[in-house]
Amino acid sequence: MADHQKTPETTVHRHEEIQRKLALKEERKHHNVSFIMMILLTIVAFFAIWSDKISDSFAILFILTLAVVQVFFQLYVWMHLSHKGHDFPIWGMASGILVAAITVATLMGLIWTS
Amino acid sequence: MNAGERLTDANFPAHPEKATLEGKNKFLGFWLFLGGETVLFATLFGTYLGLRNMHLDGPSSEEIFQLPLVFIATMLLLTSSLTSVYAVLSLKQNKVRSLQGWFIVTFLLGAAFLGLEIYEFIHYVHEGHTFTSSAFGSAFYTLVGFHGAHVLFGVLWIATLLARNWNRGITLSNAPKYYLFALYWHFVDVVWVFIFTVVYLMGKVG
Repeated sequence: MADHQKTPETTVHRHEEIQRKLALKEERKHHNVSFIMMILLTIVAFFAIWSDKISDSFAILFILTLAVVQVFFQLYVWMHLSHKGHDFPIWGMASGILVAAITVATLMGLIWTS
Repeated sequence: MNAGERLTDANFPAHPEKATLEGKNKFLGFWLFLGGETVLFATLFGTYLGLRNMHLDGPSSEEIFQLPLVFIATMLLLTSSLTSVYAVLSLKQNKVRSLQGWFIVTFLLGAAFLGLEIYEFIHYVHEGHTFTSSAFGSAFYTLVGFHGAHVLFGVLWIATLLARNWNRGITLSNAPKYYLFALYWHFVDVVWVFIFTVVYLMGKVG
């Protein structure tokens, strides 16, 4: 290894390696921040219900919004949807979520009106 | 290069999980599967939302749900999602021992979550809230039980994956497998976020 260290190829390789390490360090930081955010969102959601200080209909809207925010943290930061090369996965998930929303609305409507 | 060969730091690709055609196919296929799973869970959520107030003579959701227990379960699953993302970071750095360590922590947290859920269900059955007691009961156990089955499948999956690849290091063949497990595990956590919000928290405000 030692006698190759001065060749230009190795220098390029080492440079790439340092960049990769920096990118991973950055990624770890994002993961930690998103973990703290998700913990906070969870605590806020539980507290909104627990404390009983907010009116019920507003509390439901509020915690549903918190859930959606939390899911975006999961999908984009932890499941790496924000990274390059995720166009098809985003289409797959987006169509899944679209059909899911229609399904939930239809089933609830069917049961309520019957 | 043989896909089963242990990768070294010198020949380690930037994305070991997508370095082979098989890996790329698994990655795409698994995301489409998760899109389908989203719809599957939506059918269960829709049914539950329609039936959640029809509890007949059994206890209502407001009477039986215990938020402290659910809160602990939520924290367990959320933390296990973080440890599995740490394992993926180790995967990208070719650190196989640290990957195994983080996945073992993930496994343990998942198992603890399952233990809590079983305890919770047993408690509910004693309170008269069973699968056959009312439409609320059926919808509840189908939805939450289906998620619990996903957690059970996940802990079995990671246990076999770790055991089979224990001495193999990280290879082009097992890197996609580890990566997909982490995706699956995050998805299970995503579903739980909606369960604790829609089932438990909304169950408390009627």
